[in-house]
Amino acid sequence: MPELKVNKEESTVEYAGFSFLLLTDLNLDVEKVGFHSAVIIDGHDRSFIRQIVRRIRSHNSPDIYLKPVFILKGINIIDPMVNKLVDGTLFSLEQIELIIPEVERILTKTGELHFTNSLSFEAQMIEKVISYMFTCEIQDLDPIPYIYSANNYYYPILSVNFNHKDEHMALDILEIAEREGVFDSSYVDKVYLCSGCQNGQLSYREVCPKCGSSHSTTEDIIHHFPCAYVGPLSDFTNEIDDQLDCPKCNKRLRHIGVDYDKPSVLHECKACDHKFQDFNVKAKCLACGQDSLVEQLKGREIRKYSLTKKGQIAAINGFVSTSKDIEEIIGTVKFDTFLTMLKYEIERLKQTEGASNICAIHLSNPSQLYSKMGSEVQKVLLKDLVKVIRSNIRTSDIISFQSSSTIVLSMNEIPTRIANKILTEIVEMLKRLIATSFKDISVEFEMEVVKLDYKLSPQLHIQQLTKNFG
Amino acid sequence: MFDDILDNYLRFLESLTVEHFIRLFWFYIFFEFLRYFILEFAVLNLWKLSKFFNRGKYEKAKKDFWFEYPLISIIIPGKNEGKHLYKLIRSLNEQTYRNLEIIVVDDGSDDDTEIIGRDLEKAGLIDHFIRNEVRGGKASGANTALRFTKGKYIVHLDADCSYDRDAMEKIIIPFYMDKDVAGVGGNVMVRNYKESLVTSLQAIEYYDTISIGRVVTSYLGIYRIISGAFGAFRADALEQVKGWDIGPGLDGDITVKLRKLGYKIKFEQEAVCLTSVPNTVKKLTKQRLRWDKSLIRFRVRKHKDVLIPNQAFSFLNFFAFLENITYNLILNFKWYIYLIDMMANYPSQLINIIITNILLYTFTNFMKFVVYSLYRARTNASYTYFLIYIPCMVFYFGYYLRVVRTIAYIQEFFFKRSYKDPWNPEKTSVHAQRMKL
Repeated sequence: MPELKVNKEESTVEYAGFSFLLLTDLNLDVEKVGFHSAVIIDGHDRSFIRQIVRRIRSHNSPDIYLKPVFILKGINIIDPMVNKLVDGTLFSLEQIELIIPEVERILTKTGELHFTNSLSFEAQMIEKVISYMFTCEIQDLDPIPYIYSANNYYYPILSVNFNHKDEHMALDILEIAEREGVFDSSYVDKVYLCSGCQNGQLSYREVCPKCGSSHSTTEDIIHHFPCAYVGPLSDFTNEIDDQLDCPKCNKRLRHIGVDYDKPSVLHECKACDHKFQDFNVKAKCLACGQDSLVEQLKGREIRKYSLTKKGQIAAINGFVSTSKDIEEIIGTVKFDTFLTMLKYEIERLKQTEGASNICAIHLSNPSQLYSKMGSEVQKVLLKDLVKVIRSNIRTSDIISFQSSSTIVLSMNEIPTRIANKILTEIVEMLKRLIATSFKDISVEFEMEVVKLDYKLSPQLHIQQLTKNFG
Repeated sequence: MFDDILDNYLRFLESLTVEHFIRLFWFYIFFEFLRYFILEFAVLNLWKLSKFFNRGKYEKAKKDFWFEYPLISIIIPGKNEGKHLYKLIRSLNEQTYRNLEIIVVDDGSDDDTEIIGRDLEKAGLIDHFIRNEVRGGKASGANTALRFTKGKYIVHLDADCSYDRDAMEKIIIPFYMDKDVAGVGGNVMVRNYKESLVTSLQAIEYYDTISIGRVVTSYLGIYRIISGAFGAFRADALEQVKGWDIGPGLDGDITVKLRKLGYKIKFEQEAVCLTSVPNTVKKLTKQRLRWDKSLIRFRVRKHKDVLIPNQAFSFLNFFAFLENITYNLILNFKWYIYLIDMMANYPSQLINIIITNILLYTFTNFMKFVVYSLYRARTNASYTYFLIYIPCMVFYFGYYLRVVRTIAYIQEFFFKRSYKDPWNPEKTSVHAQRMKL
């Protein structure tokens, strides 16, 4: 039986070869987490737990945000965000052996991951979410209704990275991730956000359509059938009893539907005396104070996201960039545009007897390459690659990124043999470029040339072109 | 056959003496010609003169009105009238007088009226769109609108009408000419006069009998009906009478209620409104049966106290009622007496008498149409367009409308059929009948 060693000065616990950082107060140097196998938070205060969990899971380094976190329970944890972001609870340190398998599992899974320095903030966030989901063996990213959320729904491992003001960006990032094929999604709910600051914490009020005041009174309108008198309920009340008497014909109202009815209501604004039947509904943003008509609010869908196969692979190999990132590189066209142009070229070949080709250059080890660079350097590298390719092909040929590791280009009206030769030269030049610019990095390239066949679709050509790439 | 009739007729004319003429055409001479032409013509001239002499007063009233610039609340109650609203609102937004608030009441429509009304409200083209989920009838719709009005004057409109650019201005000025005026009726003309023979004949009727007739009664102080299509009221007077009572015939009813309080009611010929009239005989018959029943229901029954001398007795109201009952109810039946008289005493001359009557009436109608053109504010069509229809007016007015009126009187007098009219919801008519309203 392994011995439990508690070091109160260092706030650490050691057991079975694992080191646990024991957190009891907010004076935490979060970088310390990286030196331990897992974190145990002393759960004496809900707010304290929430803050600590937040600081760990929102950290940029995978060494910290992927670390197993446990709560040493003194109180009931009812915060759904905390529940989703911790890996278990202990009732006392004596139970530590119970969490060892979980710690082992998470650490092993974390060890399987390759981390890249993704090109953009969005790509970094996507990588963070999918790697966390991989280590925790979570398949679905469920939105949870959360009182502290600015969007009313919280995706814990993603939303935790944003302050209240920017939390809506989590929804944008998930949309990007779905476009990239990392997630599939299904509809859960819809939220309405302030058109000014995109906060979802809104106070809805019925207001006067004229002056916007919410200070009003409401009365039923009564229609007295015998004399056609129409007026608010107060016209019919008397000071003697609870009966209703018609002010026009003095008859007593007996039976709703028989001698009178209430066809509508009358609202009267106490601010401007305006009488009206239908309120406007306005939403006041509790964050920025903007008062908007509900029609002006920004509706966003809240969806449940499930990791796809592509997402699982990206979690292990690292997620480098979104197509938005590589579309910004000058000299290239969007991949969709490339496909459209390819389609036209195939159509053209049906009429002529020319020979056209598409080519691809693939970086075989992108995660190794990108993990050693910052996102800015990655962008510079991609720009340099494109510059080299562009200077070696004709201006009529086009370049596009299929992904951050695969560049496709067209070489029209040129024999395949020549295209192959040009491509080989380009690859050699690229290797030389990387060797001189990034001395410590070794890069492997694969290349492929496919002659266009007018009987095949553009998609089949692309499949053929990239099928051999790892 | 035709030659025989013509021959016979010429002989009849040759043998006609003055005494004989009076005996055979007493109904035309004493009632129709005297009342509907000579008397009308005389009063029209007096009215024209008075208008001339009062032009300074009119200009002052106009100036006072513009100086005060009062808020006018326009109320438009109706069921399933959404399709007409846009055209109506467009004509209201073109008004020379701008201090208007427009209130549309949807009385339990089951078509797209609510959507259209809400859109107009949202677009700021109307001030209020009020919807009653359950239909309550025209009166309750108008009374609902009253709850939302803020204006000093209330103008009641029908949704299927449109208005001259200066109509709102013109209909309010009479209030500034006499402080006792509590209601002013506008001049309704027929928009769809070209649609069918029935609408052309109604257009002539609106020009002469209705419009000119109202000028005359208004001048005499016995004007009886402020048309629901275009009528203006003082808001305080409407408050006094607590709005409209159950119809059909609520237009005439509210006029009588105001008159009973001692207010004056005027007709303003220059405040012009265009309306679409029934385009088939069937629809027209239905409308006129409803209108004519209201004479019995409101004048003979509900407001019969006007004819009884008491503390609130007013000679003008008495005279207005008497004139109305005499010329519409009694004369209508007297015409049948005339017919029986002729059939009993001159059976051999009956065809000649009918031909002469037709010629006399046609001649009078032509004369009226031409002469009255001097007294009309304007028309919305060329006079010459109607000339070919004038001969039909004898049959339209003298026979068709008379028969319809007779049926309506009998139905209402003996069977109280107006309480069964689906124009009003049954739930309200039941109570109106029980309370003898």
